This record gives sequence, structure tokens and C-alpha cells, in this order.
Amino acid sequence: MNRRLFVASSIASLGLAGCAQAKTALTTGPFRKVLDAAETVNYRVIGTRGMARLYTDADVNVQFRLNGLNTPADTLYSSLAARGFLQYELAIGGLVDRPQRFSFAQLRAMPQQTQITRLDCVEGWSQIGKWRGVPLAAILALAHPKPEARYVVFRSFNSDDQGTPFYGSLDLHEAAHPQTILALDLNDKPLDLDHGAPVRLRIPTQLGYKSTKWVSRIDVLASFAHIGAGNGGYWEDQGYEWYAGI
Amino acid sequence: MQQRQTYRHSLVARLTHWLWAVAILVLVMSGLQIFNAAPYLDASDNSNPAKRVLAIGASGTDAAPRGVTTVFGHSFSTTGVLGYTSDGLGGQAPRAFPAWATLPGPQDLADGRRWHFFFGWTLTIALAAFGVAGVLQGTLRELVLRPSDVPKLRPMLLYYLRLRKTPPAHGTYNPLQKATYTLVLFVLVPLIVLSGLALSPGVDAIAPPITALFGGRQAARLWHFTFMALLIAYFCVHMIFVFGTGAVNNLRSMVTGWYTLKDDEEVGV
Repeated sequence: MNRRLFVASSIASLGLAGCAQAKTALTTGPFRKVLDAAETVNYRVIGTRGMARLYTDADVNVQFRLNGLNTPADTLYSSLAARGFLQYELAIGGLVDRPQRFSFAQLRAMPQQTQITRLDCVEGWSQIGKWRGVPLAAILALAHPKPEARYVVFRSFNSDDQGTPFYGSLDLHEAAHPQTILALDLNDKPLDLDHGAPVRLRIPTQLGYKSTKWVSRIDVLASFAHIGAGNGGYWEDQGYEWYAGI
Repeated sequence: MQQRQTYRHSLVARLTHWLWAVAILVLVMSGLQIFNAAPYLDASDNSNPAKRVLAIGASGTDAAPRGVTTVFGHSFSTTGVLGYTSDGLGGQAPRAFPAWATLPGPQDLADGRRWHFFFGWTLTIALAAFGVAGVLQGTLRELVLRPSDVPKLRPMLLYYLRLRKTPPAHGTYNPLQKATYTLVLFVLVPLIVLSGLALSPGVDAIAPPITALFGGRQAARLWHFTFMALLIAYFCVHMIFVFGTGAVNNLRSMVTGWYTLKDDEEVGV
């Protein structure tokens, strides 16, 4: 009988008294890999469906919160920024029938979508912003992905302190969602350098870390295994889930 | 006197009970890990310091750091317990909940989330299996409060308060137990799951009324945390009764299924 009490109290002590060694073994050992199954279930069950809630101008956070990396230190970026991004060109390549190049002026001249949506950060906080830009679906339609294409990979001008490049990806379904846009403006002003100028992704149906800032080019690919550490994005390579709808 | 035994808990009930016990432990600890990434709770949709209900932070100088917990604008010094706590790496750091209470121990939002979602599904599946088995085996009916139990709630309370010598006649579970189990299984746990889903931008796009029901995403975070605190409160009461009414008999019944009836106890229905 005492044995049962011992077992029960041992289970409780794992958390309550702080069995640090057992926790380390669980969180770094093979069982850690089993946990990844939840991401697949979330992707299948929740996925990217429906429409993110739309807000009004009165709801907007005027001082929109910053997180993650700041203004890119990249020299090409600095020279583009110094000239108001007039020389910026967005290239869409990879597995597409018609590779595209858009100047900043051409992007501005395309039909724009304005959305006042809530950005939900993986850390837990939320901010509401007024985003304006080009629906990604329109750009993909011009480029026309090939049948074997599965992912849209967003390269960025930025990299972290160690020089690891910043990037992100969506699958074609998420990329074609009507609220997934390449944003050019935030709160009625062109994006500033910290918020992702000149072009950033904005996908309100997923957490903020999927909305890649400082987009330098877009590639439509069958796999992202050869990019970075192979998990589909800078934050994904740090251990965060590729599917960030929850 | 001869001991009377009854087979109280089916195999499915016992397995799912221990499964969700583990799941809830992991969910609480990984939830505190996730909370640590934004250690404040606002009664609003987007983050709003003017609507802040709880904040757990660090202040003071580098030489003398302090943990400070602020509830409804009232600040308390909580150094070592909340705000400035053990970092799981042998030192102290600005961390809302200490490493011993979180999973993983050291700050790791990415892995905390993976633990939380895996055991969120584990809990959901365990509850569904318990519910289906309970309906098929008829054991769920013994657990749920029914209109005929309501008049017995007061005499049962008086019995617990020692203001009445005998409990009112009841089945396997007494009316207060039934009321508690009904509230926890059919109100509190569904609310925990719903308020958690309300935090997901993907779920919010599919079913906007869920997030709206809790007053927005940040408010849903506040509710999710509050429901967790209520579930821990229930767990404490549960432990008091498990250990106060014959720990060995209670634990054995949840391991083997067999429960030894006390002199005044009936077999139940």
C-alpha cells in the first residue's frame, strides 16, 4: 500500500516539488519528438479557413508594437531605403510558368486591399493595425505556379546578430487566402524600416511570426528542406511550429 | 466484520482518469511556460495596459532585482516566488513563474507550446473516451447531478459541517460530489478548452463567436488563466477528500477498480 502512495506522490512531485532531472530528460529526449504530432493535427483540424475578424479605425493601435528583429543592417537594403525604395524590385520565381518582377511603383499601382485586423503574437499579446497592400493571390495568379509547386518562400533583407538570414514560408492554400496580402502601408503610412519596409507579408489567420518582414524575393517551391535549417522559416528553425494558426 | 467490496471504476474510467491527471499537470506547467512569454493579462481584445488585471514582472536595480506582482493595480513584492525567480539553469532571472513550475524548466516558449498542444489533444481524447464509455456503461449517470439531488444538497452540506448526524440517502456519489463533478466535467473543463481555442487566430477566423464570447483574445487569455486557477482549486479539494476519506481505499479503487464500502455506505445503483 505504501508503494502506491509512493508512486502517486512521485508523479505529483514531478511537477510540484520540481523534479528537474526528469523534466530535462523528457524535454530533450526522444519523447520531445512525439510532441510534434500535435502540429500536424492542428494543421489538419484548424488549418486556414474562414476569415479573420475585421475591425474599424477606432480600434487601431497607432503606436504599433515592435518585436523580433529591427531595421536590417544589410548594405543593399540601406541604399534602397536611402532612395525611398524607388529602385526596389520584387521578383517571383521558382516553380512558376511566368516569373515576375515588380517595381515598387508597379506594386503600388496594383489593386490594393485595406484590412484592419488583429495581429496575434506567439508570445500572447495582440495589436490591431490597418494594413494596405496587394493580395498575394493576385501576384501568384500572374506568376502561375506549376503543378508540382507546394510552398511560397519569402526571402528577407534581414538577418540576425549571428548572420542567419531571416525568411518564412506558407503553403499555396494559405498564400492564396483572400486576406493574405503583401502589405505596403501600416496605419495609413508606408511601412517604416522597423515594421518591414518596403514590403512585408501579412497573414491575419496565423500568428505574427508567419508575417515575414522586409521581403526581398519570393520563390514558389516544391520543398523548403534545403533552405536554412530546413523547417520553413527563421522562427521555425528556432523550434516554433511551421503551422502557426494556434 | 466482513468487508463489502464493489467494482466502482471501469478500466476505461481508470485509464482515462490517470491519463487526464498527467495531461492536466503537463497543461498547467506548459501553460505557465507560455504565460511567461507575456506575463500579464488584460480584460480586452488587443493588449491594453489600461485594462491590465494581472502583471508579473521584475524591477529594481541589477544589484538588487525584485519580483513584483500587480493585481488590479495593487503591487506586491514577490521576489523569488514570482517575477524574479529561478531560471532552471542554476541562477535567477526576470521570469514570471519559476522554472520548477514550468515545462520545460528553462525559458522555451516554442517547446512549451508543443507540450501544451500535444497534451491538449491527449486531454480531449481522454475526456471523449471517458464520456463515451460512461454513457455506454451507464456510469456517467451516477456522476451527474439530477433534479432529484438538488433538495439533498443542503442536508449533505450540513452533514459535512457536522450540523447533521447522517448524510441524506444517495447512490455511489453524494449530491455535493455530483454537483462538483458536473460543474468540473460539463462547465469548467469545456470552458478551459473553449477559452484556449479562443486564443488561436485560425479558430477565431473559423468561429468568431468563440473569441467574442470571452470578450476578445486578451480577455480569453485572462479567462483561460482563471479557469486554470479554478481547476487547481478543485484539484486541492479533490486531494483533501481522497486523502481524508481513506486514501488507500480511494487510490486502490482508481487503480484496480475495487472499492471497499464503509459500514454506512450503500453499493449504489
